[in-house]
Amino acid sequence: MKTVYVDNNATTAIAPEVLEVMQPYFTRDYFNPSSMYDAARSPAEAIRSARETVARCLGGIDPDQLLFTGSATESNNAAIFGAVQANPARRHVITTAVEHPSVLEIGKELERRGLDVTFLPVDGHGEISIDAFVKALRSDTLLVSVMMANNETGVCYPVAELARIAKQTDQEIVVHTDATQAIGKLPVNLSSDLKDVDLLAFSGHKIHAPKGVGVLFVRRGCRWRPFILGGHQEKGRRAGTENVPYIVGIAKACELAVQNLADEQTRVRGLRDRLEHELTARIPAVEVNGRDAKIRLPNTLNLAIHGIEGEAILFELSRHGICASSGSACTSGSLDPSHVLKAMNVPFSAIHGSLRISLSRYNDDTDAERIIEVLPTIVANLRRLSPYWDDANNCLQI
Amino acid sequence: MPWEYSDKVVQLFMDAVKGAAGTHMGEIEDPDGYGEHGSMVCGDTLRFTFRVEKHPTDPTRDIITQARYLTFGCTSAIASSEALCTLLEQERKTPIEALQVSNEDLVDFLGGLPEQKIHCSVMGAEALQSAVADWASKRGVDLAAIVPDKVHADEDEGRVVCKCYSVTEPYLRRKIRELGLRSIAEITHALKAGGGCTACHHEPGGLQDLLDEIWATSHETDDAGQATAAETHDTAGELSPFQLGRRIETVIDDSIRPMLREDNGDIELIDIKDNIVYCRLLEPPGGCPGGADRTRLIVERQLGEEVDDRIRVIAI
Repeated sequence: MKTVYVDNNATTAIAPEVLEVMQPYFTRDYFNPSSMYDAARSPAEAIRSARETVARCLGGIDPDQLLFTGSATESNNAAIFGAVQANPARRHVITTAVEHPSVLEIGKELERRGLDVTFLPVDGHGEISIDAFVKALRSDTLLVSVMMANNETGVCYPVAELARIAKQTDQEIVVHTDATQAIGKLPVNLSSDLKDVDLLAFSGHKIHAPKGVGVLFVRRGCRWRPFILGGHQEKGRRAGTENVPYIVGIAKACELAVQNLADEQTRVRGLRDRLEHELTARIPAVEVNGRDAKIRLPNTLNLAIHGIEGEAILFELSRHGICASSGSACTSGSLDPSHVLKAMNVPFSAIHGSLRISLSRYNDDTDAERIIEVLPTIVANLRRLSPYWDDANNCLQI
Repeated sequence: MPWEYSDKVVQLFMDAVKGAAGTHMGEIEDPDGYGEHGSMVCGDTLRFTFRVEKHPTDPTRDIITQARYLTFGCTSAIASSEALCTLLEQERKTPIEALQVSNEDLVDFLGGLPEQKIHCSVMGAEALQSAVADWASKRGVDLAAIVPDKVHADEDEGRVVCKCYSVTEPYLRRKIRELGLRSIAEITHALKAGGGCTACHHEPGGLQDLLDEIWATSHETDDAGQATAAETHDTAGELSPFQLGRRIETVIDDSIRPMLREDNGDIELIDIKDNIVYCRLLEPPGGCPGGADRTRLIVERQLGEEVDDRIRVIAI
């Protein structure tokens, strides 16, 4: 049975082209890029070239503004703590209630350290209010951190607009965005629409590079201090011997992501729309979380399936060779259901039954057909077992 | 985290989902015992019903002959429900004997459960107790006289310790003793309590306090001197912010909006901070060269002339 992998917002398959360009740096060109001998020129040159490639993919920016890190989580930590350290006179941070834990948890930590943190709420569509953002701005606002796109629902946030408003209000406000889910799915251009963004983070493994490598963009002139000290690498802004093969890999992955952006926006979107249309037509009492948001990632479908529990759905899907994920409490490892769906006020009956399908360029029609074939039966079988399902009338009863 | 279910759990779950012969999914109509445990909010619920073969003279000798469940929950919750029904039917127990079925019996029957799923088996045992209580009241059996340790009528009434999952203090006290729970993690795995916001872990009267009291231990909790964020900031300015706001509103209402409306445009004031005015501008249809920024500049100039020339306008 062929595996149908539709959990691409969690991680992605490594592209063969990426693996290929990485190989020489594991074997032939393993030298420390900081070494003096001739042999070390090749890895040093590979990093320089990788940095240029990534800079080109992000809108033709100056490559010196890019740091390679170990993950998007590291990039987010470095971005936020670095901004806080560099601006000790300011004590207020604005973020949202639906950030990835690598931003949300830092927000809570900053509160514990005595800063004021505003977590902007979202409405039922998963969107934040620009008016609420404006009202939250203060004379001591240090940092604004809003993700470009949400990993669970795919709802996109108006980062360019928020950054412009923040900068027009006060040039000293630092604007950070977690772009992990946006790269390869939305245009990300730091010299045009995102020109007011100071710090931008993403990882390789969501764009078909390996796990364990990330990027942090730090705009020249941004008030920011390095987070990881102990070496001259990355001009002293991120110490530690460079992970050469992975840096080469993430650059290739960025290049492919830009090339495939049109495919993502058309063919992948078409697959998602087909799944959305057919599954909502075949399964009663199902809603699409974030459907009415103004902009949603083209690859993400978050279904609220009433009356059953997501972990049981995943288990059944897994038996059919389908890999997806859920915001259900039973799959979170913490007993708490998705903070994103809770912030959207999705009813509990549907949070526990949430199912996220996230596609990539490697998915095709046969994958969609398999899901459309098996999911309605899985849902019907589990609902027969549920005290919240009225089998006779085929509807939810609470 | 991949699944670590025993073969028995997987088999019971799959049989249940397929509705295989000998499985116990369903609800008995007009049952002799009816019990429910859990809630939609918590993410799992078990509705348990049973029928008895009635003894002609002594209801305490009724025998459970049929047991059914409906479960909203994960793989192991459904398997635990199957286990409960199978155990009861196999052994032809009286309801009072059935009360001795513990969550450990269910875990054993299932060939083990991952520790974070233990609460699924506890849910089975609790639903069973509540169904037996229902049977007792229908059959006129004084359960409290026979098995006083299994009657917990007022537990729902006590102080709520874990607000996320509505877990009360009397229930926690009983289960901590019954199941020998020694740590907050064990409580969370078995009862879900403390698995949400975690605020109840170390607050006064919270989970750690209950554990300390029940097991008579005490910890020196080191108070990591919570910094009090007493932020005072004075927005000193020669104009009171209130007065400034009023004047800006007046100028927008009396002169700027009428002017924009002549061209079928409009303005909505969002906020005023110091000398920054945030507003949403509706462009005149058709637009004009300069677009949004031209309208913004008009507003800024007007406010500059009539209120204060340091005012800046930001369009939303």
